[in-house]
Amino acid sequence: MASCWWRWRRGCSWRPAARSPGPGSLGRAGLSGLRAAAAAASRAQMSYFNLVKSLTSAFPNMYSISRFHHVTPAVCCCSRTRSGEKYTDPFNLGWRDLKGLYEDIRKELFISTTELKDMCEYYFDGKGKAFRPIIVVLMARACNIHHNNSRNVQASQRAIALIAEMIHTASLVHDDVIDDASSRRGKHTVNKIWGEKKAVLAGDLILSAASIALARIGNTTVVSILTQVIEDLVRGEFLQLGSKENENERFAHYLEKTFKKTASLIANSCKAVSVLGCPDPVVHEIAYQYGKNVGLAFQLIDDVLDFTSCSDRMGKPTSADLKLGLATGPVLFACQQFPEMNAMIMRRFSSPGDVDRARQYVLQSDGVQQTTYLAQRYCREAVREISKLRPSPERDALIQLSEIVLTRDK
Amino acid sequence: MSLRQLLLRLPCYLGASGPRRGPLDTISSVVSWRGQSSRSPAHWNQVVSEAEKIVGYPTSFMSLRCLLSDELSNIAMQVRKLVGTQHPLLTTARGLVHDSQNNLQLRGLVVLLISKAAGPSSVNASCQSYDMVSGIYSCQRSLAEITELIHTALLVHRGIVNLDELQSSDGPLKDMQFGNKIAILSGDFLLANACNGLALLQNTKVVELLASALMDLVQGVYHENSTSAKENHITDDIGILTWKKQTFLSHGALLAKSCQAAMELAKHDAEVQDMAFQYGKHMAMSHKINSDLQPFIKEKTSDSLTFNLNSAPVVLHQEFLGRDLWIKQIREAQRKGRLDYAKLRETISAGKGVTSAIDLCRYHGNKALEALESFPPSEARTALENIVFAVTRFS
Repeated sequence: MASCWWRWRRGCSWRPAARSPGPGSLGRAGLSGLRAAAAAASRAQMSYFNLVKSLTSAFPNMYSISRFHHVTPAVCCCSRTRSGEKYTDPFNLGWRDLKGLYEDIRKELFISTTELKDMCEYYFDGKGKAFRPIIVVLMARACNIHHNNSRNVQASQRAIALIAEMIHTASLVHDDVIDDASSRRGKHTVNKIWGEKKAVLAGDLILSAASIALARIGNTTVVSILTQVIEDLVRGEFLQLGSKENENERFAHYLEKTFKKTASLIANSCKAVSVLGCPDPVVHEIAYQYGKNVGLAFQLIDDVLDFTSCSDRMGKPTSADLKLGLATGPVLFACQQFPEMNAMIMRRFSSPGDVDRARQYVLQSDGVQQTTYLAQRYCREAVREISKLRPSPERDALIQLSEIVLTRDK
Repeated sequence: MSLRQLLLRLPCYLGASGPRRGPLDTISSVVSWRGQSSRSPAHWNQVVSEAEKIVGYPTSFMSLRCLLSDELSNIAMQVRKLVGTQHPLLTTARGLVHDSQNNLQLRGLVVLLISKAAGPSSVNASCQSYDMVSGIYSCQRSLAEITELIHTALLVHRGIVNLDELQSSDGPLKDMQFGNKIAILSGDFLLANACNGLALLQNTKVVELLASALMDLVQGVYHENSTSAKENHITDDIGILTWKKQTFLSHGALLAKSCQAAMELAKHDAEVQDMAFQYGKHMAMSHKINSDLQPFIKEKTSDSLTFNLNSAPVVLHQEFLGRDLWIKQIREAQRKGRLDYAKLRETISAGKGVTSAIDLCRYHGNKALEALESFPPSEARTALENIVFAVTRFS
C-alpha cells in the first residue's frame, strides 16, 4: 500500500517536470539531437569534430559564453523554485554527512608500520576537495528521498563515499609514479618523498583497504559495480599509452580514456549508492548517467585548466599533459584549426619547443572554448538526468554542483 | 597457467631466458615420495605433476581472457624496450616464463588440492554441483587463479626501482623510468583482473579474505624491501618471532587466506575453514624456511653464492649468538668492504642456526600435517601431505 502511494506521489512529482516547457527544454531537444546525431555519426563514421562543430553553430549564443563568466541561471532558478528550499552550498550540504571523513578513512588503513601508514595517509590530510565523496553522499540522499522520502544516509552509502575517495587516491599515487610527477595539491608527491618502490606499495595498500571496506558492505552487486571502476582505471591508463593516427579515432579514444580514468569512478559510485538506497533500476541508471556526465565534464574542464590556470592555483604544474605527451581536448580541437599540430601530437610533443608551441596554438585557437562547450553539453545532460528524481535539497545541490564543475578555476 | 602462459609471449623479446634460481627448483633434489623407498629420491616436480593430475585441467577461462587482451600484448611489446637494462621487471618476466616450463604454480595448485580434499559440503553451496570438474567447483578454480594473479601482481610491483638510487650500469634513466611505468601498469592490470574475478565469485566474505590477504602481502613486501635496502646495516636486529610475523605476511597470508576462502566457497563450516587456513599458513612457512636453508645444506654450493642476511638460519644464528658477536662475525667476514659470503656461510653453518631452522621447518610441516588430519583421506590429501614431506625432508 505504502509503496503504491509513493509511486503515485513520485509519478505526480515527475510529470509536471517532464512537461514543463522550462528553459531546459531547448537543451533537452538539443541533447536528444546530439544523441541522435552521435548515433548517426557512429554509424556513418562521421567526424566527431563535425558533430561538435555543427552543434556549436546551432547554439551560437552558448558558444560565445566565456568560461569564467559563464553562468546558466536558467538551471539554477528552476531548481530553486522547484524545491522551494533556500540556496545552500552543495559542499556544505554534502559535508554534513562527511564529518570525520578523513579520520574514518585513516581508520580503514590498519597498518602497523609507521612509515607505511604515513605514506598511505599522506593525501588524506583533509586538504583535498573531496569532490567525489560529496557527490556520492548527495546522490545517496537524493536517491533515498526519491525512493521513500527517507531523510537518512545509510552507513553503507557513506562507506561508498570513503571507498570512492580511497580508490581515487590509490590511483593518484600510482599515476604520479607513472608520470614521474613531483607535486600535487601543493605538496610533494609520495614518490618524490619516499621513492617509487614504496609509493607503488602504498597505492596497492590503499586499494586493498578500499576493497576490504567494500566487501564489508556485504552486497555483491555493489562489489561488482565498484570493481568495474578498478578495471576501467587500469584500462584508461593503458589507453593513455597509445595514440591514434586517425583524427576521428583520436577524439573517440580521448573520450573513452576520459571516461575510464575519471568518469567511471564517479558514475559507478553514484550507481552503487543508488543501488543501496533504492531498488528501482531506473534510478540506478539516472545516478549512473549523472555521474558519468559530470565526471566527463569535470575532466574536460581539468584539461582546459591545464592551459588556462596558473600552477599556483592548481597545486600542480600546468601544461602537464603536454609535457607527458598527451593530447587532450583543447589540443585536439586546436589541431582542427592548425593541422601542423598533427605531427606534434604524433611525436607526443617530444621535440624541443613542442610543448610551448602547442600551448601557443591552443591559446590562439578556440580549442579551450570548444572543450568548455563540450563540457557544458555533458553538464546539461547530467542536469537533465538528475532532474528526473523527485525534488530535494540534495538533488538541487547536485544540479548546482554540475555548474560548479564548469566554473571552477582550480 | 594464466600468467606464465601469458608472459610466455615475452621470452622472444627478452633474449636469453636463461635459468634463474627460483625458490622451488632448489628443493628438487631432496624430495622423497612417502610410501616409496626413501632411498629413491623423487623430484619436487614429480610431486607437483602428480598433484596437477589430481586436480584435472589446469587452465581456466580467466587466463584465456588475460591472454587475449590487448593490454597484455601491449605490455609484451613494451617490455622489449627494456632489454639491455637492469630493470627488475625483466627478471620477473623471465622467472615467470622459466617457472612455466617447470609447470609450477604452487599457490593455485594448493588451493585446488585443498578444495578437492575437502569435497562438497553438506550445506547447499553457492557454487552449483554441476559446475564441478574433478571434484573441484569452478568458483574454486577461479579462486586459485585469483591467488596466482595477486601473487604475480606483487611480484611485478616489488620490482619497481627507485629512480634516484640508479647506478649508471642500470641503463639510461629514461629506460628505467619506462620500466617502472610498465611494471606498475602490468601489476595494476593483474590486480584489476583479480578484483574482477573476485567480484564474479559473488561472495563478499571471500572478497574480504582475499583483499586482506593482499593487504598483508603488501605489508610483507614492504618489510622485505626496507630490510634489503639497508645495505650498510647488513642485518636487521629482529628476533625469530618478528621474523615469523613478517614472513607470515609476505609468504603465508595469501595462501592461508586463499585456502580458507576455498572452503568458504564450498560453504564448509568455520572449523574446516580454520584447518584449511592452518595448512596454508604452515605449509607456506615451512616452504619459505626450506628455501632459506638451501644455501646452507646444498652439497655443491659455489662460493660466490650470496644469501639473504634476513633468512631464517641467519636470524636464528644471530639469536643464539647475540647481536654483538654476530656483528663481530660479519666484520670478520668483510674483505675490502665486501662481504665474503663463503666465509660467513661457514661461520653460520658451524653454529646452531641451521639445525634450528631445520627444526622450525619441520615444526611448521608437522602443524600443516596436523591440520590435514581433519580432512578425509583422499588422493588430494595425500598430495598435500607429499608437498609438506617435500619441503621438510633434508638429506
